[in-house]
Formats: sequence, C-alpha cells, structure tokens
Amino acid sequence: MTTVRTAQSRIEPVRPGPADRQGPRRRRHSENLPGYVFLSPWLLGLLAITAIPMMLSLYLSFTDYDILTPLSEVNWVGWDNYRRMFTSDPSYWHAVQVTVTFALVAVPLKLAAALAVALLLNRAIRGIGLFRGLFYLPSLLGGSVALAIVWRSMFSRDGSFNSFLAFFGIEGAPWVNDPRFALETLMVLAIWQFGAPMVIFLAGLKQVPAELYEAASVDGAGTWSQFRNVTLPMLSPVIFFNLVLETIHGFQGFTAAFVLSNGTGGPVDSTLMYTLDLYIKGFVELNMGYASAMAWVFLLTIGLITVVLFRTGRFWVHYSDAEEH
Amino acid sequence: MYPDKAPPTDVRTTRRHGTATRRRLLAAALVVPLALGAAACGGDDESSDPNKPVELSIFWWGAEGRATLTEKALELYHQKHPNVTFKKTWQANQGYFDKLATLTAGGNAPDLFQIDDNYIAEYAGRNVTLDLTSYAGDGRLDMSKFPPGLKEYGTVDGKLAGVAFGENTQGLVYDKTLLDKFKLPAPKTGMSWDDYISWAENVSKTAKVPGTQDASAVYQAYWVWLRQRGKDLYKGKELGFDEQDVTAWFELWKGARERGATPTPDVIHEGNATDISKQLVVTGKAATSWVWANQMPELKKNTKDELGVVAYPGDPKAQWARASMYFSVFRGSPNKDQAVDVLNFLANDPEAGKILGTDRGLPSNLEVRQVVADSVTDPSMKQTIAVQNELGKTFGPAPAVPLKGHSKVRSELIRVAEEVQFGRQTPAQGAAAFVAAAKAAIGQG
Repeated sequence: MTTVRTAQSRIEPVRPGPADRQGPRRRRHSENLPGYVFLSPWLLGLLAITAIPMMLSLYLSFTDYDILTPLSEVNWVGWDNYRRMFTSDPSYWHAVQVTVTFALVAVPLKLAAALAVALLLNRAIRGIGLFRGLFYLPSLLGGSVALAIVWRSMFSRDGSFNSFLAFFGIEGAPWVNDPRFALETLMVLAIWQFGAPMVIFLAGLKQVPAELYEAASVDGAGTWSQFRNVTLPMLSPVIFFNLVLETIHGFQGFTAAFVLSNGTGGPVDSTLMYTLDLYIKGFVELNMGYASAMAWVFLLTIGLITVVLFRTGRFWVHYSDAEEH
Repeated sequence: MYPDKAPPTDVRTTRRHGTATRRRLLAAALVVPLALGAAACGGDDESSDPNKPVELSIFWWGAEGRATLTEKALELYHQKHPNVTFKKTWQANQGYFDKLATLTAGGNAPDLFQIDDNYIAEYAGRNVTLDLTSYAGDGRLDMSKFPPGLKEYGTVDGKLAGVAFGENTQGLVYDKTLLDKFKLPAPKTGMSWDDYISWAENVSKTAKVPGTQDASAVYQAYWVWLRQRGKDLYKGKELGFDEQDVTAWFELWKGARERGATPTPDVIHEGNATDISKQLVVTGKAATSWVWANQMPELKKNTKDELGVVAYPGDPKAQWARASMYFSVFRGSPNKDQAVDVLNFLANDPEAGKILGTDRGLPSNLEVRQVVADSVTDPSMKQTIAVQNELGKTFGPAPAVPLKGHSKVRSELIRVAEEVQFGRQTPAQGAAAFVAAAKAAIGQG
C-alpha cells in the first residue's frame, strides 16, 4: 500500500506558488501554523517511513548495494542497474510479462464481478445486510497469508476443488503446482476478493437518483437500456475510481504469489510477479541496488499507467456536477 | 482528499530555492547522515571486568524441537556464567536469511547467528563474520577435536568464518512401513543409479506409490553424482562440470519419469520445497526423499511410518562429511570474546553436547560425539548416528565450501530441472540454460 500512496502523491503536481502569493504569505503562514502542528505526527511519519527511505532507495538504485556491506562502502555504478534490467536480465522481462498478464485479466474481471454483485445486492430484500456482509468477507481476509495457504491446499492435486470436480466426473489438474494453471489460480483468488470495489459500487448505486430511472421507464427503456443509459454513466466516476485503485493493486500483487510458490515464483517461474522478482533480487540474491532500481522503474510505470487512465477518463467519465457550471 | 497546495516542506524548499535540483540535494543531505549512522554502529569496546553483565543476542533457524534443545544448552552456560544472559530469537528456515540480512543492514546483526553453505561465503566475503582464526590459534576456541574436514569447511578465503555445528551427509530416506507392507526390498547403499531407478519402478508398480522423488532438481544429489564421475560442483572459482554432465543428469531422470519410477511433475514440484514437512516420503507421495541424514528425527515427526536411511545411489565414496550448519560471530559485536566463548562451550562441553544431541548433525567434537552416541535415547537420533558412522567409513575428501552465488545456483537448478520435468525444455536445452545461469551466478566469465 505504501507504493500506492507514494505513486499518487508523486502524480499530484507540486509546483511553486505564483509570485502574487508573496504578499499575503506571512499572514497565512501564521494562520496555518496550528494546522501544521496538528498535522506533524502524520508529516513526521511520512518523512521517516516513506520519504526518506524512498530517497535512499533512489540513491541505492545507482549503486551496487548488497545489504551486507555498510552503506558507506557502496560503489556508485551509474545507470548499470537500469541498463542490466532492460538488456541482460531474462527473468526481468518474464516477470513483467507475468505481471501484465495478471493485471490485464484479473482487474477487469474483478471489477465486473464487483459490479454484478453490487447490482444484485442493491435491492430491498429481507436479510440483504447479511448477504452484503458475506460477499464482503473474502476481502476482509485480503492480503492474508492464511487465505493463500488455504488456496494452495484447495487447488492442489488432491485438494477439495478437485474432489468437487470429481462429483461431476471431471478430472481436475494440479492447479497451483502446474505451470499452465498456477497464474490463473492466482487470478481467481484475486477476483474472488472483490468485496472492496463492490462496497464502493454499492455506495455509488445508491447515489443514482430514482427519478432518472422513473423518467427512463416512462420513456420506455427496458432493464438493459436503463443499465446502459442511466446506471453506467451515473456510475462512471465510481467505476473510474475503482479501476485506478484496482489497477495499482493488481500490479502490486505479492502475498498470494509468494505464499503459493514458497517465495520462488514457481513452478517454473509461472507466478513470478514483478514484486516477487524484486524481492528475490533484493533479499535472496542480495542485489539490493538492483532491486531498488527495479522498484523505481515499477513506481514510474505505475505512475505512467495512472496518468494514462486519468487522460482516457476524460472521454468516458461523466461527472454530473460538471454540467451544472 | 489532497490539500490544494503542496505539503509545507516542499513549499518551503521550492520557495527558497525555486529549482528541483535543490530538492535533490536535500535528498542527498538526508541520505548521507543515514549512511554514516549505519556504518558507525558496532565498535569493539571489550571490558576487562569478567563479571560485568553481558547480554548476547543469538539467532537460529529450525523447528520447535531445536529451540527447546538450544535454549536448554544456553541455560547451562548461563548457570556457569551468571553474568551472561541471552536474547534468543529463532524462526523457520524460510525467511530466516531475509531477516538476518535486514538485521545486518541495520547494524543490528545478532552477536551469534546460525548460517549455512548457502550464505557463509556471502557473509564472510563481505566481512560480516568475525575472523575466528586467532581464537582457534590460541585455544580460546578449541577445534582440536574436530575432524580436519569440518574445520576447513568453515574457512572462506583463508578466514575462519564459522564454527561447524554438526556433521551430516546425504541420506536417501525411505518409507520402511510401506515397503514392508508390500514385501519390497529396501534400497541399499552402493546400488547403481540404474539399479536404483529399476527398484523404484518396481515399487511404483507394486505399491502404487511412486518409488522415488525425482532428484534432478536436488543439488546435493547432482553433486554426489558428479563426484562419482570424477567431476565436482565447483572447481576453484569456476563450475566443475559442463553441459554434457547436466544433459546426462537430466536424461537419467527423464528416463526414470518415463518408466514411472517418479511422481508426476506437479508432485515433484511440491517435494522440491525445502520445508521438511513437504518431503514426499512423509507426505506419502513417494517412497523415498533426498535429504540430509541429520534430518531424520524431524522427518520422523511428520509421519507415522517407520523410516530408513541409506546413502545416495552409486559409489558412497562420493559422499563427504559436510558441515550441516555453522555458528558465526558478528564482527561488529561489542562482546566478541564472550560470544566466542559461548561457541566454544556449545561445541566442546560434553553436557551441552548431550543436550543438543544430533539435532544439527553429529557433534563436531569427536569426543562429544562419542558421549552423545553412548547416551542418546531418541530412536531416530540413534538411527542417524548409526548410519552416519557407517557411511563415515567410506567418506571421500570434502569439497571446498561452496562459492558466493551458491544459493542462486541451487535455485536455478530447481527452475531449469522443473522446466525439463514439465517437458518445456529438452535435457540438452535445460543443460545449456543451467550452465549459463550458474556461470552468471558465481560471476564466472
């Protein structure tokens, strides 16, 4: 989650104030002081836990730091780490490919599942609170290691999923231990944890004014037409919000891949997510300088993807208040 | 959600200097003191007062059984030296070296830590470990009762980087209960690889449990097999084998898989985990597993079946007395002398030896080893001792301690061997890939 926050705060433009601010600055400064004082615990935390380590890792990405050698003795290697990443590290591009595949499949499906279930739960029936709670439950267990362990045993050759398939006479596969299916198993796990976007969708659906549906049905719109022409446009800011968040989240998947593969990215690198490769390079192979470089490329890439999403959002995200101006 | 203006620190810097370069300088200014701070940790202020209270931190990996034994042995030291107390930390093997590396990076490495072949060259090469040569020279660390191989095994680039805390050797563990049930013979030390695979094929057919775990991803099995061919894993600072060797090794196991002597690749993959509880011989998914002889008692805890152990197939002379693991002293420890004294005690004191038993391998000190052999009651420890003593008669010379990059070589062997097992690469393709990756890992041009 740290990277999410930092990714966003980097995108947030930080520009020096215009010259005309010089005048009232002094007065505003004294007014703002108590505010800053109250903010200081958070600011100190940001500085100590995020900003300083980030700057340090930027510096380390240009060195051969190996964790064990004291920082004062590291060697500056210029762009070597970055060059190696793009030219001579075969596992790097493999990890990129695995991660992109994962995000491209898991994120849209997760959002679709979240929206579908949110639509189902957006009605007044008895016990709806219980249903909502039940559907949200998997994401409460979110990044939990225990869940990934359960997943591993459920989807092994003699796991309960295969026993279930056997009921229907279907012979299962050793899902998590087979390179053809291991990544897909991870995707299913990610999609299943659709609770968080679902709750946000649900909140969004509640905001759609009922008059719009009434007006649409008076005009003769059926369910599908209402969904297409009322629900989707009204929900587009929420869809956009979820899309940005889940995309970032999808790229950062680590825990499940780590647990399912015992930290190796196996079988045969089929679950070698970018973050897992980064961890192996840094902590197992002790190339922390290289791992830092990987982290920075990762951060910039996610930042870039987010910017692109924001740009495309202009074409399809519909803010109702924008039209009032 | 975000304030309409930038956070105050940024505002102030940019106002005063107005350029982004200045911000980068600020970052550098933050980095430098941090770097110096980490480097400044750990002086060597030894006090002359022998009774001043000393707290030593000690860190090891292992299961709960090992923790109980180690804590008891440390308690014994504390009774004899009441001024010395211990801050004990232990955890499972997975994640142990991440934590050790992180502690070291923060300048907080434990005074004493357990380490193995995978990392001893890495830590010694970067001067994290204290060079124990002078301690061994003047007797503060007594290694005179150690077999010479074990002492040399802890030496990296002429420096004594760790004290061997146990001797072990490769052990092929088999499920005796299963074999007895089907009246099948047990594997024997000295049987050829071909005979062994035929034996395993027969087990698969009769018992309907795969006869052997596929060893193509098991580096120590590959290593023994190489030594039987007159090669070695490393030779000086280079690889001691070539593509033909790897191809032949992968072909051997491809044949075994085709004959049904091994489980399917996904099950082999499960067994390739280092975790003892996942070894196929205890999960019942194969009749044998490729492990180290001292792991017998831990394996035993994970199964109801009776287990037996023999040498790996082929000439047993290719096996050697290996230091199963070491204890090292952190070079930056403020209490080095005291820490070395603890190692000396744990390694040489017969009472401590009796407590520790063979959990880390046969005790390095041969006299202690005898005491332990005479007094041990745990049946699987007894079995370990008997087998290692038997194999010890034919041990060949020990190879040098593995090179820096060894753990990468191991993980590459697993990755490539699994590619071949899943049929994604031919043995020859896999061999070429593995040799290239292994050379890169040890920095051979």
